[in-house]
Amino acid sequence: MSKKLDDNSDLKQIGKKRDVKRKTLPALAMAGPVSLWMILFVTIPMLFIIYISFMSRGVFGDVVYKFSGESYQTLMDATYFKVILKSLRVAVFTTVLCLLVGYPFAYYIARKPKETAAKLIMLIMIPFWTNSLMRLNSWLLVFQTNGPVNSFLQWTGMTDGPITFVYTDGLVVLGMITNMLPFAVLPMYSSIEKLNKSFLEASADLGANGATTFRKITLPLTFPGIFSSIILVFIPTLGIYTVSDMLGGGKVLYIGNIIKNQFGSIRNWPLGAALSVLLIVITMLLIFLYTRFASIEDMEVV
Amino acid sequence: MKKILALLLTMGLTLSLTACGGGTKDSGNDAKEPAAGGEETGGEETGGEEAGGEEAGKEEAGGGEASSELNIYMWQQYISDDLIANFEKENNCKINLSYMSDNADAITKLTAGGGDEYDLIMTCDAYMESLVAGGYVEKINFDNIPNASNINEAYWTAKEYCVPYLMNYIYIVYDKEKCPVEITCYNDLIKPEMKGQISTIDGARNLFPIALIALGYDPNSTEESEIAEAYEWLVKFNENVVAYGNAEQNLTNGTASVALTYDGNASWAMAEMGENNTLAIADFKEDAVQLGFDLYVIPVGAKHTDLAEKFLNYICDPQVMAGNLEEYPYSCPNEAAVEAASDSYKNDPARNFSYKENVFFQEDVGEALTIYNDYYQKLKVGE
Repeated sequence: MSKKLDDNSDLKQIGKKRDVKRKTLPALAMAGPVSLWMILFVTIPMLFIIYISFMSRGVFGDVVYKFSGESYQTLMDATYFKVILKSLRVAVFTTVLCLLVGYPFAYYIARKPKETAAKLIMLIMIPFWTNSLMRLNSWLLVFQTNGPVNSFLQWTGMTDGPITFVYTDGLVVLGMITNMLPFAVLPMYSSIEKLNKSFLEASADLGANGATTFRKITLPLTFPGIFSSIILVFIPTLGIYTVSDMLGGGKVLYIGNIIKNQFGSIRNWPLGAALSVLLIVITMLLIFLYTRFASIEDMEVV
Repeated sequence: MKKILALLLTMGLTLSLTACGGGTKDSGNDAKEPAAGGEETGGEETGGEEAGGEEAGKEEAGGGEASSELNIYMWQQYISDDLIANFEKENNCKINLSYMSDNADAITKLTAGGGDEYDLIMTCDAYMESLVAGGYVEKINFDNIPNASNINEAYWTAKEYCVPYLMNYIYIVYDKEKCPVEITCYNDLIKPEMKGQISTIDGARNLFPIALIALGYDPNSTEESEIAEAYEWLVKFNENVVAYGNAEQNLTNGTASVALTYDGNASWAMAEMGENNTLAIADFKEDAVQLGFDLYVIPVGAKHTDLAEKFLNYICDPQVMAGNLEEYPYSCPNEAAVEAASDSYKNDPARNFSYKENVFFQEDVGEALTIYNDYYQKLKVGE
């Protein structure tokens, strides 16, 4: 009896060793470099940012390593509240538009045969191989006062004089959407593509019309995709400032601009760091929400 | 599914980070303007630093020999490639140029450490006082720079510590045909009929002085009440602004009819308009315009001081500088060089204005800088 037990524990030992070889090593090999990368280039800089945010600013704009909560006190100023509110508003607006444009497109691609779908996905990805600043600059060139669009409009006689497209909110929104659309389309595409078609057939069999099927079946089942699209578009948009700077003429400051200025011309690194931390907190909250939603919904899908 | 999403999410986050870094918008002579961020330039910098470090090591081993490497940190698109190539050939050395995207970058290099990676750093007159006070720059041995005598002393602050390179007037240039108002003072810019007509340079310390002058105050005021009034003035100004930055392009492509910009950029815009140039420099009667210098300093701990001094002497040579001005038609404090420059430079309409003496300089405003920045943010955040 006792011998048998011993055998058993030996077996367990061997099994454990084998497990280490079979599972842990490959896992380490796969996740190791990424983890190292993330620790070196994301975690450590992030911790440093948090550290700096509690330091004080020197007379000469340098960081003095002396504890101070002043930066966070400054954040209480109404100006920053307004900026964050404004940035949130733009981010929400862009996200909603991206979803409205992206969902039908993702739906359309997902319903195509595999090869056509791959081609259509490529169409979205190709512009992304160009630097975003290049793309923004080309929008400026296309829409500038003596640019091709205005020349064409005048040539067709639709307008007498040139229309000012550049440095308007419309162009900023256009720039935002073209920058963010792939991030909206791809997750929704993967969600819609996974959707089991038999659900739709069953729904039709039970007498639901197209609209009802969409509302009751397609939309809820693709919700994880929609939600990750929201996150993917919303977070970058919150911090981005190049679009409004270039296409909007730099007339409005967003939270990204303010952070950039603190590290640049204004040279108040602790305040810039504190603002970054605030942005990280907002982002974390959203990711927390995302994990709650996505995990629950995923289970339901599978 | 979840893994793909997580991956995409990471991509998204990274994107937002790189987006914050931005890049230099580089077009025409625009590189002089403080552009967004500097990830690309950052790459070049480190490249230059590494090369410099290695080379320095070798030299120390050799001991006492002339340097063969010079590391310079300055604005992009601001010095002739020919000049650099010729200097390299004459002195049998290699120049590593690294570029800044904002004046603050140079200050950060000098004050936050890393300044000794360079032998010459470009900065501007406004910072000289505090750089000297902070002990961040080396005294320059002018015995080795005889050509410096060509530089007009009136344009030389902190004379022992720097060599002026080029200078910039920040003035008003406008399209005589398109602009609804004939501009003779800053107050013309806030007239309601100017709505959507102005393209201007950005930055608290460029915008507030013109408002302070328009109101009759000291352009470097440290009084909060005066700065607050200037803010009110700028709110009206801001309503008329169509865009900050890119002034010369906005003038030539017809987006704006007035610009507050550097004379070098105005020169570019006028040259671009060619025969049909309708741009003119505003004929100011009383208001002073800002004059700023870009100058070279030797950071404390620089490793190739001998070559740095040779280089400074070289660029102060009238013929050399005259050639450089051909390519970068900015104003120059080197009077012998201006004399030696071509007729096209001397007759440049962008420098043909009567009030060259009526200027003010940006001064260190000390703690008041925070007040400026607060109001600047308020201005840009709006309601």
